[in-house]
Order: sequence, then C-alpha cells, then structure tokens
Amino acid sequence: MFHLSQVEHTLRVPPDVLNLPLAEAIKRVLETIFVDKVIPNVGLCVSVYDIVSIKGGFILPNEGAPTYLVVFRVILFCPAVGEVIEAKLQRSIDTGLQLSLGFFDDIMVPCKLLPKPSNHQPDPEMSGGVKWFWTYQNQQQYYIDSHDKIRFKVVDVKFREVPAEPATEKPFAPMVVIGSLAYDGLGPVSWWVDEAESEE
Amino acid sequence: MKILEANVGPLTNFEVLNFLKSKGASKDPTRVLADVAPSEYKVVYDYLVETAACNQTPENINEFLEKSKKYDLAKAEVLNIINIRPTTPVEIYSMIEQCDDRFGDTVEELVEIVAEVLPPPPTEVASDEVTNEANLETGNKENDNKEQVNEGKE
Repeated sequence: MFHLSQVEHTLRVPPDVLNLPLAEAIKRVLETIFVDKVIPNVGLCVSVYDIVSIKGGFILPNEGAPTYLVVFRVILFCPAVGEVIEAKLQRSIDTGLQLSLGFFDDIMVPCKLLPKPSNHQPDPEMSGGVKWFWTYQNQQQYYIDSHDKIRFKVVDVKFREVPAEPATEKPFAPMVVIGSLAYDGLGPVSWWVDEAESEE
Repeated sequence: MKILEANVGPLTNFEVLNFLKSKGASKDPTRVLADVAPSEYKVVYDYLVETAACNQTPENINEFLEKSKKYDLAKAEVLNIINIRPTTPVEIYSMIEQCDDRFGDTVEELVEIVAEVLPPPPTEVASDEVTNEANLETGNKENDNKEQVNEGKE
C-alpha cells in the first residue's frame, strides 16, 4: 500500500526559510511541493521521508534565492494490484460504489465487480443514491452500507493526464483505483467475521 | 523532477504510522500545534490509527516474518497479512493467490499464528500515554525493521 521512492528535484529555496538549517529549509520546501500530490505513474505522495543528498546552491542571475539539486525519498501511497485494503463507503450509486480511505477518495468499484448476484434498490436516506445488496444462495440478503469497513481487492490503478481544459461537471482525479468485491472474504467486514464467529 | 527509483522498498502500515508519530502526529486536540503538515499527515494518520497497525511493534512483526517463512508466502502477501491482520480463514483466502492449492488445511495454522502473534486492532483508541510509550520504545528499531522488508523484496 505504501512504499518509498527516490526522487531528484531542482528547487529554489526562498529567502524566508533560509534562517532555518539548510536541510530543514529544503524539507519544508519539498513538503509544500510534493505532499498530497499525485506523481504520475508513481503514486500519491504522503510524506517526505528523508533527504539523501543536497548539491549546488547556485544563485541564478536575476534570482534572489539559491537553487539546490536535492535527492530525497518520499513515502508514496500506491496500492499494488491484488492487494486487499480496508476502506469506508463514500457513495453508492447505480453504476457501483465509491470508497474512501480518508486521505484518498478515488476508489471505484464498478457494478460488474460486486459479488454476484448483486442488486440495488433506492436508498431512502440519500437522494439519488442506491443501496446495493448481495443475495447469497437465493435467500439471505447482505446489504452494503456505510457503518462498516469494506475490504476490497485492487484490480487496477489508473493515472490520468491533466486535461488541457478544466472539466466542469466533475473534479479531476489524477489517480483512480479500481477495486473488486467479487471474492470470498471481501466486502463489509461484518459479512465474514460475524458469520465465522457464529459457526464456532 | 526526476524519479530515480520508483520503488525503493515497500513499507508496512505500521512503519508509516510510526514515521508519522515520530513527526508529531497524534489524536490529541493540541495536534494543530505540532510541526506536521496539516492536510496529509493527519488524515493519513487518522486512517492508519484505526487499522491493525496501531498496536503492532517491530518485535511482533519480526516474529511473524520468522514464523511465516515456512509457508512460502510472497512478500506482497506477507505485507498484506500484516496490514490487514486476518483472523479467519475466509479473510485470508482473498489475500493469498490460489490459497486452496497451496495451503489446503494449513491455512488454519497460519490464521492461528496471525491471531497469536499480531496484536488485535483497537476497538477503542488506546490512551495517548500508552501509544507514546510504545512509540519511544519502538522508534529506534523502526529502521532495522524496514531494511528487513526491503532485503526480502530484492
């Protein structure tokens, strides 16, 4: 789910942080640049882990600040395909589910990757929303609702190009994780844990 | 920006949590004063602190790595088991590829080891005192542990 990446970056350290020790000043600048941003094809940057090397310190003509070449490591969030992750339900619509980790909301479970056979009915509590349920052996209906943690398996991670023209209808998501609930042991945690306990 | 190496090594949820704690992230209401970037650390921290990673220690994880060696699990599978801490066979099925063929009945054994070695996730948030103490004890060993995971991957 998380991993480290080594990145090299040329950055300008503005004078207002130069009263700090250099490493700390650079870390602060790096954090404003990278934290909470998606690096294309690598992942979502969670935190600057450490600084490996600092080179340079040139002051370019017409600049009031030194420029450094920094090699550093960042903690990235990028789920591996096949990994199982716990998330919360964010939205439930007729094309599928949207799950959230709190810090990352673009996890989609399309309806074809829900446990089979699944159906939905309108949700009275949320306008426009639906409630999905899984019918187990034609008898028992299990609902997917927001009280519970939901485990999903990562099927795909997609990175998208920033569009040239800003889309108006939907906010742009640079990284989208496609998840699946269609295996035993996935879905709301209570589906599986309660059952196992009652069998014992 | 140039990516020198996209994946230097995977981290467990526990390692990330510990790193954030060492930077001063906590559940405490005074956390707004801590020297932590407000958006990401705290939100990630809030997620991690509710997972099984919350009560884990490097000792637990090393013990689990040791005990799970004989099952010939892939590194990613071990990592996933540590992060989720499955305690019933049905939970572990989804995390291990071709679980039936590879394990058969030994999967029960593996589940027992998980339940025994890795501490249960918090039902309620543990008091700050306890987590702080644990943090002090484990802070120094964090790096050793991370290297282990890295070595294994290569």
